[in-house]
Amino acid sequence: MKRRLFSAPIVEQNTAPLGVKVPAQTSATGKLPDAVRHCRWIATDLNAEHFGVYMLNVSSEGVTMTACFDSNYPEFCRAAPQLAGIDRKQLARHARASTAPCWWGKNAAFADVMQDLPFAPRIGASDISTSGLAFPVNTERGQSGVVVFSGTELMAEADSIHEFHGRCFSLFEAVYRIRRTEAERAPAISRRELECLRLTSAGCTSEEIARQLKLSVHTANQYLTQTAQKLNAVNRMHAVAKALRLGLIG
Amino acid sequence: MTATAQRSDRTKVGGRLAGRGDLTAFLMQLCEEVEADCYLLLAMHQTHDGPQPEIVSSNWIYDAIQLAGHALIAALAQGPLATGPGIRPQSVTTAQPGTIDGVLDSEEARMLDVLGHGEIFSLRLHIGHQRLFLLLSSADAGIIDPAKLSKIQFNCCYALSQMPELLSASRLQDPLSDRERECLFWVSEGKTTDDVAMILGVSSNTVNSYITHAIQKLSASNRAMAIATAIRNGII
Repeated sequence: MKRRLFSAPIVEQNTAPLGVKVPAQTSATGKLPDAVRHCRWIATDLNAEHFGVYMLNVSSEGVTMTACFDSNYPEFCRAAPQLAGIDRKQLARHARASTAPCWWGKNAAFADVMQDLPFAPRIGASDISTSGLAFPVNTERGQSGVVVFSGTELMAEADSIHEFHGRCFSLFEAVYRIRRTEAERAPAISRRELECLRLTSAGCTSEEIARQLKLSVHTANQYLTQTAQKLNAVNRMHAVAKALRLGLIG
Repeated sequence: MTATAQRSDRTKVGGRLAGRGDLTAFLMQLCEEVEADCYLLLAMHQTHDGPQPEIVSSNWIYDAIQLAGHALIAALAQGPLATGPGIRPQSVTTAQPGTIDGVLDSEEARMLDVLGHGEIFSLRLHIGHQRLFLLLSSADAGIIDPAKLSKIQFNCCYALSQMPELLSASRLQDPLSDRERECLFWVSEGKTTDDVAMILGVSSNTVNSYITHAIQKLSASNRAMAIATAIRNGII
């Protein structure tokens, strides 16, 4: 098994000193196929046949999983074999509340290894032919996700779990940045417009924004209307929510 | 099994951490493993005036925390020093603060050096969707092996994942009821009060009252801020 403890970064890490703002766009040089290739390497090292990378989103129906890509890339597997027999809701809830990897399946050798790891919970699965391992991941910006591997001959050493988990974290950060760059590619939002939006998110009214940025109330309102249009939002609350979820404002 | 053996068994990686005492024991043991002298575990809150750190657990002396101040501690934890899981950590050496530009000015560096923090690492921890920072420091530079920290970082994430209640006690958790959260979610999707009333099958007045309660509970000043606070804290 090949070990890559600190695998070459898929996307160059943002290591600029404090106070020097590096625009997010310049650091995202990776493309989705590169990320898929990295994921395939991890899957190979785990002896997994299927994999999938998911974003977690909280909606009124609870935590849901949205696929970024899976082992059938560029298509999606309809049957999602990497999640066969798994309660997706349970997995999503676990990954949002905990960072501990979770596993399932009855493959004896794999189960022996995982049972000895007290931090890694076992989750119920109805399909016993395959085993699976899921790593909860997060980006620096706070987007949660989960990276799933499965296969009949899945294998991992107890000592290398955290290395795999580290690689999954890097992978997810890269996938998230790629998606964000795609989202940002749409309309350019000016610094001034973002500043208005940021102040709105801090609870400021148009009058307060105008005073702070030394604008007329009318201009502040116009900036906010433009931003809402560019973000395809129907009002300013919607715009704030969209900008936060896209990571345009912190 | 003796009491001490039991305790060390529990604080081993993956052993259940049952309370604050176990957390302290666990962090002390973590320090021992990497030969660090000090730990400081902190959470960050987004507020009106930017990020505010909240110290969850620490063995820094009281005066060091007071002298350094929350702003410097936040800058150390969150700044360029902060290392996500799976990345080789960088440190700042207070004797030569230039190693990473801009983290510390010479005065701050000298102060930390005098207070016994010769070399400082910042590890970003993820506990589900919650984010914490762990500062590890040693009195002399070059004692802590960065290669060992990656494993420590994950062990810490795993262990803290088992005690979300200890972290949530001090943090802004989810104070909203299901109905309030649902209303706020739909408003964040751009729905008007009337739309939400239609979706949830209640009257507009009820929706408005849910949202007003949510705004109060999140100590926000209006709807936009309530939505921003809720998204930042992972509530919606």
